[in-house]
Amino acid sequence: MAAVRFTGVDKRYGDVVAVRGLSLDIADGEFMVLVGPSGSGKTTALRMLAGLESISGGEIAIGERVVNRIAPRERDIAMVFQDYALYPQMSVFDNLAFGLRRRKVAKDEIERRVRGAADLLDIGAYLDRKPGQLSGGQAQRVALGRALVRQPQVFLMDEPLSNLDAQLRTQTRGEIKRVQQEVRTTTVYVTHDQVEAMTMGDRIAVMNDGVLEQVGTPEELYERPANRFVAGFIGSPAMSFFDAAASGEDGGLRLRGEGIDLRLPGLPPLSGELSVGVRPEAARLWNGGGHGLAGPLRGGVTYVEALGRETFVGVDVGGARLALFQEGRIALTPGDVVDFGLVPEGLRFFSPADGAAIAVPSAERTS
Amino acid sequence: MTSRRELSLTYAILGVFSLIAVLPIVGIVFTAVQDQGELAAFGTFQGVHLDNFADAWRDGNFGSYLRSSAIVTVSVVAISVLLSILAGYAFGLMRFRGAQVLFYVFLLGLMVPTEAMIVPLYYDFRDLGLTDTYWALILPQIGTSVAFGTFWMRAYFRTVPRSLVEAARLDGASSWFTLWRVLLPLARPAVLTMTVLLFMWTWNEFLLALVMVTDEGLRTAPLGLSFFQGRNQTNLTLLAAGAVIVATPVVVLYVFLQRHFIRGMLSGAVKG
Amino acid sequence: MSAPASISPPALAGAEAAPDWPLGGTRSDARPPGEPRRVGYLYLLPAFAVFAAFVLVPLGHAFWLSLWEWDGVSPGTWVGLDNYSDVVSDPALRRAFMHALVLIVFYALLPVAIGLLLAGLLARVRVRGLAFFRTVLFLPQVVAMVVVAVMWRMIYDPQNGALNELLRTVGLGSLAQSWLGDFDLALPAVGLVGTWVWYGLAMVLLTAGVQKIPPSLFDAARVDGAGMVREFFAVTLPALRGEIAVALTLTTIAALRNFDLVYITTKGGPGDATSVPAFQVYSRAFESGQVGSAAALGLSLTAVIFAISFTINRIAERGGR
Repeated sequence: MAAVRFTGVDKRYGDVVAVRGLSLDIADGEFMVLVGPSGSGKTTALRMLAGLESISGGEIAIGERVVNRIAPRERDIAMVFQDYALYPQMSVFDNLAFGLRRRKVAKDEIERRVRGAADLLDIGAYLDRKPGQLSGGQAQRVALGRALVRQPQVFLMDEPLSNLDAQLRTQTRGEIKRVQQEVRTTTVYVTHDQVEAMTMGDRIAVMNDGVLEQVGTPEELYERPANRFVAGFIGSPAMSFFDAAASGEDGGLRLRGEGIDLRLPGLPPLSGELSVGVRPEAARLWNGGGHGLAGPLRGGVTYVEALGRETFVGVDVGGARLALFQEGRIALTPGDVVDFGLVPEGLRFFSPADGAAIAVPSAERTS
Repeated sequence: MTSRRELSLTYAILGVFSLIAVLPIVGIVFTAVQDQGELAAFGTFQGVHLDNFADAWRDGNFGSYLRSSAIVTVSVVAISVLLSILAGYAFGLMRFRGAQVLFYVFLLGLMVPTEAMIVPLYYDFRDLGLTDTYWALILPQIGTSVAFGTFWMRAYFRTVPRSLVEAARLDGASSWFTLWRVLLPLARPAVLTMTVLLFMWTWNEFLLALVMVTDEGLRTAPLGLSFFQGRNQTNLTLLAAGAVIVATPVVVLYVFLQRHFIRGMLSGAVKG
Repeated sequence: MSAPASISPPALAGAEAAPDWPLGGTRSDARPPGEPRRVGYLYLLPAFAVFAAFVLVPLGHAFWLSLWEWDGVSPGTWVGLDNYSDVVSDPALRRAFMHALVLIVFYALLPVAIGLLLAGLLARVRVRGLAFFRTVLFLPQVVAMVVVAVMWRMIYDPQNGALNELLRTVGLGSLAQSWLGDFDLALPAVGLVGTWVWYGLAMVLLTAGVQKIPPSLFDAARVDGAGMVREFFAVTLPALRGEIAVALTLTTIAALRNFDLVYITTKGGPGDATSVPAFQVYSRAFESGQVGSAAALGLSLTAVIFAISFTINRIAERGGR
């Protein structure tokens, strides 16, 4: 059990910079998710932590030890690979025992740990089988078990759920989280799926293009994204954006853009060009107004996503594409013209130049 | 042309060419089992006469020739397989300076024919007093065999998923342990193919033996056959029996492991 | 077949293509801790040592020898590159290479043509039991060349040989002759043996290639109204480029290296009707005391083999693979 610390970590491949100045503190026992699109550097960061890639600059520490030059086997870590990497010619039992045998752990201790992990992951029935005889889900659990029996200081997981079908993924997500909470081992988990990140992580580190965009709890990332990238990346369906010119009016905020003219008395006066972010749940059909909606704005329906319990409606307002949220079903078709309003507390503001969030102090920021 | 006629034509072509491929071989086997005195034209069958093989073995000395071939072939193949696995592993899964260049050297050496090397090899071995020894046959053939074997095993090891190697490394396995306990059990088909190909090439090697060996006791099978033919212009059945003896080991291996032979010889191919 | 055949061009191409792993090159700062580094050289050492000692060193030595005129016993005379200029100027050597060219037709072109014929047919029909045919067709490849030579020498025998017997039985006895003893027929007779040895490989190789062509290509051609011949030239032939290259490379090199066959059947005769470079290397080095010339010839042969492999590979690749 140990904390992990990245300090100014770089990774360069010739002229290509895969990771730039990554500094991240992971607390002992924490489940930290590294999330980002392909090429964001999240996997590279994980592999540097594992010792599978060399470190071009900066330091990585596990516990009190700087591990830059230490071989993977000496780092007291265990890793779950995306393709599981189970030893094909060995039984599940031998797969689980492999690392322990290499470390000369006593036979009865090996037996105990393997059985323990098998019980925890419910794979006891497969101990004699070979990996080729397992289903995807079973193989994934064996890969997990192989990491468990090592009882390392840190678990590393490289997109372990990517190769599972959607339903199995949801189920296994919960199992991994449950297991982690039982053993309370520091875990660094890489994924490109922000839903996985939001549901599993104690904290989430969002990476993009080699750089750490923001680290925080799921709630922090959702409610207070540090920049446009994080705002657009976290949350499903994604946040919509439109450009507007802000000015102060009557002590409040006025936003003007293509087809948009909003007066928001509750918000502080900002000025200049802004990029405004709107989550679907902060954009509603007008239906006469009220409920604190600002508007009405008028737009053309571009799509209707009816999901049974809820419906998302895409509207086009002067070139900006926004998504509206509606409980239940709605009788709309693309081409219809609708009136809708925005919830002022649900708006987020970003600088058009560098995407940084513009902090807007307010008593309650909920949406 | 209708499909039916095309099908018949195809079968006909396949049949005819298969027949032609097999006929000479059948012919020589047939000749080998005939009695010398009653040697008749092909088409007449006088009964099977296995004495010829026994005669060839003893008087024709083919027993000795086979033994020499066995010694040379087994030595070459065993050592070459081992060395090729090690070198192929290094080229396939390790990074070190100059790996690319060194591999190209192997590759180029692979394309050099024996004819180019036979002259200096002979004079070098002569100067060392090693002509007319098994070493003269074994060592050069290991040299050419590892060129092929290294190429082959490297190609195989490059297909191994790197996550498997990394998992083993994380689990604390040394490179040696990973090779023998994790990777090689998977490599059996590749190793087997390499083994049968090297066996075939080594067993069938003629020029090297012709140049290096004059001692009757060291003659390998192909060389022995050539020598026997030189002495035996008239006793055709005995010659045929000798030929059959020389060819049999590889053919038997082929019958049981044909998939490996064919796959091996074609695979240089169908990667294009 | 004797020593290992060359590796065919497409496989070479695979060897040369840059792998996506390892990333980052091999400079020391790019290597993760604990990854095998210098130990790689150790794994390599035994194989490379034997290879260097018995392939590379002899090659170098061959080049050295080729610069002298030497009979193998008494001291030699320095001649520089004369032995190499002999390769093009000496009529005996020129004839040898001409004969090799003829043999290439028999060893390479004929088998590939046969293979293409079969491949063309197999593109249109489904044949069962292909595995059986493949096994039989491949058999000549597996038998030692010396045995093949002995076999065919017996077949070509003027008195008792199967060929002449066959001709006599069908009433063409007048055609029966000494095939390997005739100045004009000896070379083709030897060539046909090569054809026999290699057509099986060509057939197997090309038919395997044909089965990898996506059926949609044929469907498209047929919809466009292509008949059998058009279809062959428009779809089958281009798709088989790689396999044809391999077949041609393997067989051409075999044609150049056919020492065993010539030694057993004709020893270069009658006269020098079947003299080929491979046999000349042996004959000059060990029979007529022209070691330097033999060495130069061997290296020239190697150069020709390299050139042919390279050329075939280039042509195949240019065809858009």
